[in-house]
Amino acid sequence: MRQLGRYVLAFLVLLGAWWLASWALHLAHGREVLPTPAQTFSEGLQNIGLLARAFANSAWRFLLSLAIAFSLGVPLGLVIGFQRRLHQYLSPLVHLTYPIPPVALLMFLYMAFGIGEAVKVLVVVAALFFQVLVAAQGAARQIPQTYITSVRSAGANAWALYRHVVLPATLPSVLTAARVSVGLGITMVYIAETELGLRPGPESGLGSLIDHFTFRTELALAGVVGLALLGLASYAGLELLDRKLCRWRHLGGHGEA
Amino acid sequence: MIEVENVSIAHGSGRRELSTVEGVSFSVSAGELVALVGPSGCGKSTLLYALDGLITPSEGHIRIGGDEVQGIRRDVALILQDAGLLPWKTVRQNAALALRIQGIEGDAHETLDSLGLADFESSYPGELSEGMKRRVGIARALALHPRVLLMDEPLANLDSLTREKIQNLILDLWRTLHFTGVLVTHDIEEAVFLARRILLLSPRPATLTEIVANPEAGAPDYRGSDAFYAQVQYLRTKLGADET
Ligand SMILES: Nc1ncnc2c1ncn2[C@@H]1O[C@H](COP(=O)(O)OP(=O)(O)O)[C@@H](O)[C@H]1O
Ligand SMILES: [Mg+2]
Repeated sequence: MRQLGRYVLAFLVLLGAWWLASWALHLAHGREVLPTPAQTFSEGLQNIGLLARAFANSAWRFLLSLAIAFSLGVPLGLVIGFQRRLHQYLSPLVHLTYPIPPVALLMFLYMAFGIGEAVKVLVVVAALFFQVLVAAQGAARQIPQTYITSVRSAGANAWALYRHVVLPATLPSVLTAARVSVGLGITMVYIAETELGLRPGPESGLGSLIDHFTFRTELALAGVVGLALLGLASYAGLELLDRKLCRWRHLGGHGEA
Repeated sequence: MIEVENVSIAHGSGRRELSTVEGVSFSVSAGELVALVGPSGCGKSTLLYALDGLITPSEGHIRIGGDEVQGIRRDVALILQDAGLLPWKTVRQNAALALRIQGIEGDAHETLDSLGLADFESSYPGELSEGMKRRVGIARALALHPRVLLMDEPLANLDSLTREKIQNLILDLWRTLHFTGVLVTHDIEEAVFLARRILLLSPRPATLTEIVANPEAGAPDYRGSDAFYAQVQYLRTKLGADET
């Protein structure tokens, strides 16, 4: 509950700063540059149906990409990190491909996969996948030997080792990676929705909406608020997941890592 | 019960091969509790892991109950240094881990209860004191009802009061459960208090230098007696002589 209070406070501070910025910019340029919060919200409310549809489409795109990236990146990262041999052979490959921004390949992706929905998701997945892979790989290498000996001595085979040690030991780092990739993921969704391709209608995503209403600044800005809300909701969801799945880390106490 | 025959263990391979244990032979009869004492880093844990079937000796044979040890066995349990509890599992889940992994019916409730841990079954290791963690480690091993109990410095880094309490507990358990025990320790008093025979190991690579008979161990009032201190003193000079 106190957490909620802090979010409300942060929201108010942000509104204040926004309002101040639009006032100062207005003063400096002698005309309106940045719509005020009030203008933005009233315009947003008048188009709430459109905004909601755009939000839902972007959120779906984002969550789907996140889910695909994690279900591919986590197992692969854990295996590469945990099996020493695989690590030796595959980590150069990972380090070579990791820094390539998928947007740099956007043109080829469009040519290969067309301009439909698939390529949008693909671009976002590609960006998140490596974040997740590298985080999972790093976490799997940090697992203390004593946990491994402990379950091996209990009779664990490889599968039980993953199930009882590798997965739970790396889960906190994986969730942290998820939180870190929220920002990147939303940026990638925006890029995927605005770059190249056909101009889809403004309801097809917040990015398209912002792009479409470039000259109706109040509405475009309402779309930006939508992106921020999407980020906030994802954060809150991941936080909740962390509290539920990693309860052992939130006990106060001795806080054993 | 346990026969160790000319066992050598090496880590790594080729030019980087390092010998950790060299030509060690001894045997432990059923129901006996022996201690392995040696300087830290000499190879005690390594030898114990080989007894547990976690690592394979590069030479020699280890037999338990007449069978060559080839991997983890249900009748052998290992208590790890620092208990080796998984912080993401509750006390109950930790104690029942081996049962669960090996698909054995039953839970660890009774064992936990008998060690005074019934009220902490839903706690996580991070919420327990160091002494309680070690108890959970013991409970986890005993939940399997093992015939052989391997203990790797089960009481290192405890305050002396807690250590003595858990030493008494181990003694009690040994007398009631009749397991065959191998206790690794670098605490001479602990070895003298608990073990009928004390095997002295040299610095790495570990070789067996002497087997000290300690027939009075196992009597609760042995600790603090003159005979106890004389024995401790004897071992101290033995191990000190090895150092120089
Ligand atoms: N997996 C391993 N690879 C290489 N060296 C090891 C490995 N495990 C242990 N050692 C080395 O073997 C020696 C004995 O280790 P250990 O059996 O843990 O000693 P102790 O339990 O007597 O303190 C140490 O010098 C240690 O560095
Ligand atoms: Mg050791």
